[in-house]
Amino acid sequence: MLHSKTRDAVIFQIGLAIFLTLILLIILVPFWRVIVTAFIPLDIYTREGVPFFLSPTKWSFEAFKQLLGHSQFPRAIWNSVIITLLGTAISLFLTVPLAYGLSTRNLPGRKLIMTLILFTYLFSPGLIPVYLLITGMKLTNNYLAIILPPAVSVYNTLVMMSFFEGLPEDLKEAARLDGANELQVLWNVILPLSKPILLTIGLFYAVFFWNEFFTPLLYLNDSNLLPLPVLLRNILISASFNEYVEYNAFSSSSLESLKAAGVLITMIPMILIYPWIQRYFTKGTLVGGVKE
Amino acid sequence: MKNWKMVFVVFLLVLSQVLAACAPAATPTEAAAPEATEAPPEPTAVPSPTTPPEPVDVVLWAQATVTEAGAPPDDWIAYDIIREELNINLTYVIVPTGADGEAKVNAVAAANDLPDLFQMVSANNDNRGALLRLVELGLIAPVEDLMPLMPERVKLHYNDPLAIDLVTFDGHQYGFPEPPPLPKREGFVIRKDWLDKLSLEAPATPEEILAVAKAFTEQDPDGNGKNDTYGVGGFLNGPGLGTRFDFIMGAYGVPGQWNFADPANFGLNVRSDQYPEALAYFKSLVDAKVIDPDWPTLTRDDFRARWKQGLYGIMWEDFAALTNKSNYEPFDTNFPDGEWIPLPAPKGPNGDAYYGVYTGRGQIFAISQKAADDGKAEAIASLLEWMATDGYYLLGFGEEGKNFIIDANGNISTEGLDPVEAYTAPERQPFTQMRNQLVFYNSEQEIVARYPTYETINGRTMEPMNFLGFFQEQPWVDGRGIQVILPPANAADFDRFYNEGLLQFVLGQKELTEESWAEYLAGLDAIGAADYEASAKQALIDAGLLK
Repeated sequence: MLHSKTRDAVIFQIGLAIFLTLILLIILVPFWRVIVTAFIPLDIYTREGVPFFLSPTKWSFEAFKQLLGHSQFPRAIWNSVIITLLGTAISLFLTVPLAYGLSTRNLPGRKLIMTLILFTYLFSPGLIPVYLLITGMKLTNNYLAIILPPAVSVYNTLVMMSFFEGLPEDLKEAARLDGANELQVLWNVILPLSKPILLTIGLFYAVFFWNEFFTPLLYLNDSNLLPLPVLLRNILISASFNEYVEYNAFSSSSLESLKAAGVLITMIPMILIYPWIQRYFTKGTLVGGVKE
Repeated sequence: MKNWKMVFVVFLLVLSQVLAACAPAATPTEAAAPEATEAPPEPTAVPSPTTPPEPVDVVLWAQATVTEAGAPPDDWIAYDIIREELNINLTYVIVPTGADGEAKVNAVAAANDLPDLFQMVSANNDNRGALLRLVELGLIAPVEDLMPLMPERVKLHYNDPLAIDLVTFDGHQYGFPEPPPLPKREGFVIRKDWLDKLSLEAPATPEEILAVAKAFTEQDPDGNGKNDTYGVGGFLNGPGLGTRFDFIMGAYGVPGQWNFADPANFGLNVRSDQYPEALAYFKSLVDAKVIDPDWPTLTRDDFRARWKQGLYGIMWEDFAALTNKSNYEPFDTNFPDGEWIPLPAPKGPNGDAYYGVYTGRGQIFAISQKAADDGKAEAIASLLEWMATDGYYLLGFGEEGKNFIIDANGNISTEGLDPVEAYTAPERQPFTQMRNQLVFYNSEQEIVARYPTYETINGRTMEPMNFLGFFQEQPWVDGRGIQVILPPANAADFDRFYNEGLLQFVLGQKELTEESWAEYLAGLDAIGAADYEASAKQALIDAGLLK
C-alpha cells in the first residue's frame, strides 16, 4: 500500500515535471527564436533563414547597432524615460490615497464611490471624448496627455486597496490614538509597510507607460517628443516599405532581425528592473509590526 | 469627521474619473453634425492668386516618405522660404500610417479639429471612402475653384479626369488626388539562370508555367545537390487568391475580384465560366507541389526573404523590391550568377492574357472646411502650386549644389557632393519627407534618380527602369473603378466566405466539381453577393465609369 502510494507520488511528480517543462518550453522557444533572429547576420538570414541554433561566434550586433545608432534613438529613449518616470510617480501619487481611502471600511459613501469607480472600469469613455478632454485642456504636444488619462488604473487601485485592507487595523488605530490624522497614518504607518505593493503597482504602471504607443501617436504631433515604441514602429515601417523609396538605411540587417532587436531593446529595462523589485516581494514586511 | 479630508480627496479622484468617462461624449457629434450631407457647402470664394497680406498659419498633416527619419527641424530653410515668399507659417505634422493614422484623423474629425490641409489615411487603402465620410460630415471644403490658382500643379499632378471624378461628389471636387506611386509597377519574373541550366524555354502559357515550375522544383536548378527549390513563390495579399497570382488568373480572363475586363458583364469574376478553370489550374500547381506550400500564410517579408535565399524560380514582384540595389544586393551576394528576367502575360486556353488589375489608388489631400472658413484656402493653393514649381527641387531633393546636382543629361545626381549632405544620405531624409506625398509626380527625372542603373557583383548591368518599362507595357485591366465600390454591410462575413471558399478549392480541402462550385456561388448569393454586385455596378454607373 505504502509502496503504491510512493509510486503514484513519483509518477505524479514526473508528470508534473514534464508538464511544467513543456510550459517552460512553450515560453522559452519563441523567446529563444527572437534572440537568435535579433543576432543573426544578414548573409546567414538571406541564405538559410532563421536556424534554431546559431553559433555565438557568428552572432551579429548589426541590428542593434542600426537601432541604437539611429539619430532619433537617444531622444526617443529619453522621452520614454521621462514619460515612464513621471507617469509612474503621478500614478502612484494618485492611486495610493485613493486606495487607502477606499480601504477604510467606515468611509462615508464607500459603496457609492466604489460603484462609481467600477463604472469607469466597466464602461470606457472611448477615444473621442478623451481626445476632446485632452485638446480642451490644451495638452496636445504635452507628456501630460499621455500620463493623465490613465493615471489612476481602477485595477491597480483595487489591488492596492485589497493590500491596505489586509494590514492590521490595530496599527492604524494605535497611530490615531497617538494623535495622527489620516494623512499622517498613511505616510508614517501604512506606506512604510507597503513597499511590496508600491513596487508591484509601480512596476505595472512603469511597464504600461514604457510600452505606451497609441496615445503618443494621437496627442504628440511634434516628432521630437515621440517615445521609443513609436520610433521602433517607424523604423520597422520604413524598412518594410523600402521599395517605395530610394533611400535604404537597413541594407546590412534583415527586417526580421530589426524587429527582434526592437523587441529585445524594449524588454531590456523591464527585464533588468523586475528581478530587483522581486526581492521586495518576498520580504516579510509585517514581522514585528504588532505585538499582542 | 476625522475622515473628511480623506473623503474629499477620494471624492475628487472619483469625480475626475467619472468626468473623464462621461462628460464630453455628445460634443463631437454636434461638432461633426452632417450638415452638408444634403446641402454641400458653397465653394470657397476665391480671391486673386496673390500672396496673402497677413501671415497665414497653415497646418499640414501628411505621412512621411521615410517614417523613421522624423520631421524637418524648425530651422528648415523651406519654412523660411515659404514664410518669405508665400507669407505662410507652415506647420508640418507627420501622420502615422494605417489604422493608427486613420484613428488619429477620425479623432480630430470628430472633434471638428481637422488640420488645414491633410492627407487621407485609411487602414485598408480606401482613401476615397475616407474622404467621402468626411465630406458627408460637412468637414471638407470644396476645392474646384482653387484649381485655376495652381495651373502648374494641375498640369503635373491633377491631370487625370478620372482621378478628379473620383473625388467629386454632388458636383463639387473635394480633394486633390495625387498621382499614384508608379502605376503598374509589379510583374511576372523568372530565374533565367535556372532556365539556362535546365535548357528550358521561358513559359508563355499556364501549362508551360506548370512544366517549368515542375522542372525548377525537381531538377535541382541551383545545382546545390539539395531538393530545396520551388517552381513558384507567392503569398496572399488581397481578396480571393490575392493580386500576386493575377497573371495566372488573367490567362483565364479573370484577374482580380471584379470583372473590369468585360464591362458588359460587370460583376464578380467568380461568375465567369473560366473562374473554376483557373482555380483547377491553380490547384494543379498545388497538387504538383511546385508552389511553396507556405504561400497561404506567408508574409510579404518572409516571401521576400525566400526569393533572396534562392527558393523560387517564378514569382510576381514589385520592380523596385526586386531590382533596387539595396533590395537586390542580398540575392546578388548569394547568387552572383542568378538573374531574374521579366516575362509577358501568359496566354490562356481561350487566348486571354491579362497581367493584372491597375487600381490607380493614390494619395488624396483635402482642405478642411474650418480652414476654408478661416480664409486659408487661397494660401493653401499657393503653397501647393509652389511645391510644384519653385519649391519642387527643394522639397524633393534639397538645395541644388549642396544636396544634389543636375548633370549634363538633366538627371539628378550626387556626384562630387559631400556624402553626408547628399539628398540620399540618412541625415537628409527629414528634409524631403513630403516628396512622395506632395511633390513627386513620376517624372522621368525623378524615376531615374530614384532607381539608378548599377552593376551587379559579376559585372552585369542592372536597370530597374527596364523592368518597370516592361511591366507597364503589359496588358493591364483598368480597375480604377474599384475605388467607388463600397464594401457590403456584412463585409466581414462576405469576405470570409469568399476567401475561404476559394482557398478550400485550390488547397483541395473541398473538391472542385460543378456541383460544389454551384454550391459555393449559391452560398455567396445567400450572403448578398448579387446585391453587392448590383450596388457596385450602380456606383460605377453613377460615377460614369460603366456605360
